[in-house]
Amino acid sequence: MTQAHAPIKPRSPAREAWRRFKRDRVAVVCLALFSFYALTAGSAQVIELFQEGTKLYDMTLAEQGIDVAETATAPSSVHWQAWWGTTSAGKSVLLRVFHGTKVAFVVGLCGAGLSVLIGMTLGLLAGFFGRKVDLAVQYLYQTVASIPYLLLLLALAFVVRQGPVAAAYNEFSVGGLYLSEYLSLGLFNIIVVIGLTSWVTLCRLVRAETMKVRELDYVQAARSLGMGELRIMFRHVLPNVFHLVIINFSLRFVTAIKSEVILTFLGVGVDKEPSWGQMIADAKNELMRGIWWPLLASGVALFGLTLAVNYVGDALRDALDPRLKN
Amino acid sequence: MTGYLIKRILQAIPVLLGVAFITLVLFDVAGGDPCLIKLGKNPSEVEVQMCHDELGLDLSLPEQYLRFLGQIVTFDFGESWSHDTPVREIFARGLVPTLSLSVPAFLIGSFIAVVLALLVSFYRASLLDRVVTAGAIAGISVSSLIYILVGQWLLADQWKLFPVWGYEYGFGAVTFVALPILIWVALSVGTDVRYFRTVALEEIGQDYVRTARAKGISENAVLFKHVLKNCSVPIITRMTIIVPFLITGSFLMEIFFGIPGLGSTLYTAVTNSDLPVVKALTMLGATLYVIFNIIADVLYATLDPRIRLQ
Repeated sequence: MTQAHAPIKPRSPAREAWRRFKRDRVAVVCLALFSFYALTAGSAQVIELFQEGTKLYDMTLAEQGIDVAETATAPSSVHWQAWWGTTSAGKSVLLRVFHGTKVAFVVGLCGAGLSVLIGMTLGLLAGFFGRKVDLAVQYLYQTVASIPYLLLLLALAFVVRQGPVAAAYNEFSVGGLYLSEYLSLGLFNIIVVIGLTSWVTLCRLVRAETMKVRELDYVQAARSLGMGELRIMFRHVLPNVFHLVIINFSLRFVTAIKSEVILTFLGVGVDKEPSWGQMIADAKNELMRGIWWPLLASGVALFGLTLAVNYVGDALRDALDPRLKN
Repeated sequence: MTGYLIKRILQAIPVLLGVAFITLVLFDVAGGDPCLIKLGKNPSEVEVQMCHDELGLDLSLPEQYLRFLGQIVTFDFGESWSHDTPVREIFARGLVPTLSLSVPAFLIGSFIAVVLALLVSFYRASLLDRVVTAGAIAGISVSSLIYILVGQWLLADQWKLFPVWGYEYGFGAVTFVALPILIWVALSVGTDVRYFRTVALEEIGQDYVRTARAKGISENAVLFKHVLKNCSVPIITRMTIIVPFLITGSFLMEIFFGIPGLGSTLYTAVTNSDLPVVKALTMLGATLYVIFNIIADVLYATLDPRIRLQ
């Protein structure tokens, strides 16, 4: 007796990629670690929104009536806030690292988001429309890429800080909610600078891939069905180059967080709230006085997040890149 | 080849014009009035006007642009605002310290990275491969600032193996640049190993390697005669592209160790808003980048006969 075969369910590309991703155990562990960081950042954000008056991370332990010295104290079990010691100003290292996670995520997500958005859009336009659009985009990215990265980063940071951009930032509001109330100028500065300087790699990749995809049969088929150019570009071409965007996002996320450290150290970064970059920058003077715990705590926090994202990024590339299949 | 070169050089000109435009707009227009920066607090109106005339700020944007292009072509950016010395002289002074740090660091770092990458791709999926790739990914996950801070604190401040700060011209430089070089190598080796490993693995997967093995050639000969020769193309082109960054220097390293090179010049210029120096360095960096990119492309084509230039 013949048995009717159940129809084979095609696996979606996302599920297929997840299956390949899952095979790498370390990648799964790193993804879990990343989720832990994301959760931490989320709770720091919630606490920040609901806490009124002086933030706890900005108060010294002595001010709160906790029996700890006014200056830096090594990690101790006197109080939970002192578990990771206190900074040279007598504030809790634990709380500052905790809040720094939020800053890192804001910088990473927004900075990488802006960079990827610019790179993807320009790359897609150049690759899809070709001709003059392509020439213009190519010219733009060649020019931006020619300016030494750190110089561009510094120059922009310098300009965003004091020029008309800062004025625009102060006045920008949506429905009575001012941007400046939710995002400090330092953070805004870093995000804009990172977004504007780091889109070139993705733009190049997306452009090249779009040029290939544009010539494929199914795109021609869509065209013969009378679909509009924009619809073809977003609905049919974009999904086929999107793996590049995802992989690049993870890379940019890491670069953004690392740039925060350097920019903050150079004095053009985060200033109104504690960040990992700030703690690492402060360590320059603290280390020589034997105060190593703020650097250790912020450094390890930064290392863990960067490592997790780097590894997940590598695994994503292996799982998503069709050329590496099998 | 000559035709290609001419074409590339012609293409480079609009790019550099664009860089000059961005630089001008960034610093002189979007950054606010540079004269208020130059003159400090509460300058008199007359002073501001004199400064405007001197820098040509009241001219229209196209006129300012032409003026700036003139400065670039003659490499005469005027005097630095904080030192009263011509920008050109400041550059000449900074070049030697920067190169004495960056060139050895780059050569040692690249050598170690290439050897490691060849080794691990040869013993692919072995314990060595796993240790090195894991080490590389861990290495690139540490902030560069931490390498410098901890290296300086531990090796110079605590163990006193190296001087903490300073520089000396001539042979005395060796003691001062040794630690920064060491840190630079540690910093860059991770990224380089990852890149070169991908390159080498791609090569090892090629048919000619299988053919060579099938002919019975020893593994060493396969690796060092066949694979290395073919890997050398991407390795050399990548190294060429890095050269401009050697000249602009690692400014973090230079600030931390007090090396009076171009990197720290840039840093002080930015923090003091010394615009002539910053603008000149931007143009210098961009020009070098463009030139070395052309060199890399030409090298690529000369070394790899499969590539035709058009």
